[in-house]
Amino acid sequence: MTHLPGEPGVWVFIVGDLLMFALFFGAFAHYRAQDPALYLQSQATLNQGLGAINTVLLLTSSWFVVGAVQDTRGQRAGRAGTRIILAFLCGAGFIAVKFFEYREKISAGINLTSNDFYMYYYMLTGIHLLHVVIGMGVLIFLWRLLRQSALRDSTVSHESVIGHLESGASFWHLVDMLWIFLFALLYLMK
Amino acid sequence: MNARHQMLCTWSGPVFVAVFTIGFWWLAHYLPPPSPNASAADITALYQQNTGQIRLGMLLMMACSGLVAPFVAVIAVQMKRMEGGAGVLTYTQLSAGTVGMLFLILPALLWTVAAFRPERDPNLILLLNDLGWIFFLMPFGSFVVQNLAIGIAILAHTGPHVFPRWAGYFNLWVAVLFIPGGLLTFFKTGPFAWDGLFVFWVPLVVFFLWYGAMFVLLRQAIARTAPAGAAA
Repeated sequence: MTHLPGEPGVWVFIVGDLLMFALFFGAFAHYRAQDPALYLQSQATLNQGLGAINTVLLLTSSWFVVGAVQDTRGQRAGRAGTRIILAFLCGAGFIAVKFFEYREKISAGINLTSNDFYMYYYMLTGIHLLHVVIGMGVLIFLWRLLRQSALRDSTVSHESVIGHLESGASFWHLVDMLWIFLFALLYLMK
Repeated sequence: MNARHQMLCTWSGPVFVAVFTIGFWWLAHYLPPPSPNASAADITALYQQNTGQIRLGMLLMMACSGLVAPFVAVIAVQMKRMEGGAGVLTYTQLSAGTVGMLFLILPALLWTVAAFRPERDPNLILLLNDLGWIFFLMPFGSFVVQNLAIGIAILAHTGPHVFPRWAGYFNLWVAVLFIPGGLLTFFKTGPFAWDGLFVFWVPLVVFFLWYGAMFVLLRQAIARTAPAGAAA
């Protein structure tokens, strides 16, 4: 398969963002290697259950987005729009779970200056959460576009809708994939 | 029509970068930055040993700070071509970019005050040094908005070619990378402190990349309008 999804320009952002997260992961691994005991001991206090729920939520949302792209290619803009809304709701669920997770930590007296592990925990999950919020903004943009398309609005061509859908979907998958890396690195890695 | 003026303004970008680099790096030795964890005595020693160089470096930083204005203005002119109409993104970029100059001028002034009487109470030198670095690296808001405005204007544009679409995504990426600057408030060591990877080094590299990319893109955009002779 040689087709690059979405417009080429969006990959400038995606590759750039991956580069930044690679630096985050590298920094985390570097500092973790200097004090593995502290990192493991702090990691044990994280709520793996909530992390797993969030993983499922994002994977499900990515599945909806994939379906929406296929629906759009098949000229089913209405159904695609519904799938985008479902993906958006999964994103909202992710934020809600994160809210309870942070509240649990903060009420236990753990904040981002408690130790280095928690610094990375709050910083990396926080910056990722910002990505989720941006991604949900992208989903709203796609939903509006699909609605115009479903209403046979002549100002949006079918090709441009597919292009935007693919670009937006690529970004959403990036958000999903980064979370899977983060979940493994922060919550699971022994 | 005014392609030559625009080209002159575009060149203010690399001149700014060159003079800033000489002042900030070569003269003041602010690269790498002093640790936010350093003691008042260590910081004071820095200002006492490099007094003349810091003074001269800050003078250069002050001199070149004004060159940001024409560069921001020429970006605004090209944005106006894309946006037309009321041009709110153009004005957003112009105002946010202009405010961004302050975060060159203010730190240069504060570091100048520190180097002005390096014999004063070390705790006051420490305070001025802190003020300078925090003024320099923390105010990410205006830079983020400036880059978002450019990015959105490029991506929303459908008419004749001004900037390539990848430049829009590039500006959005730059906007995201400036955000961690705000985190320096919490840390004195590590990658989120003011001498850390994500607050100093990444934004610095991105800042220079942005100047380089915008310089090339502006030259291309201006060159495309020159033969036709008339642009809005």
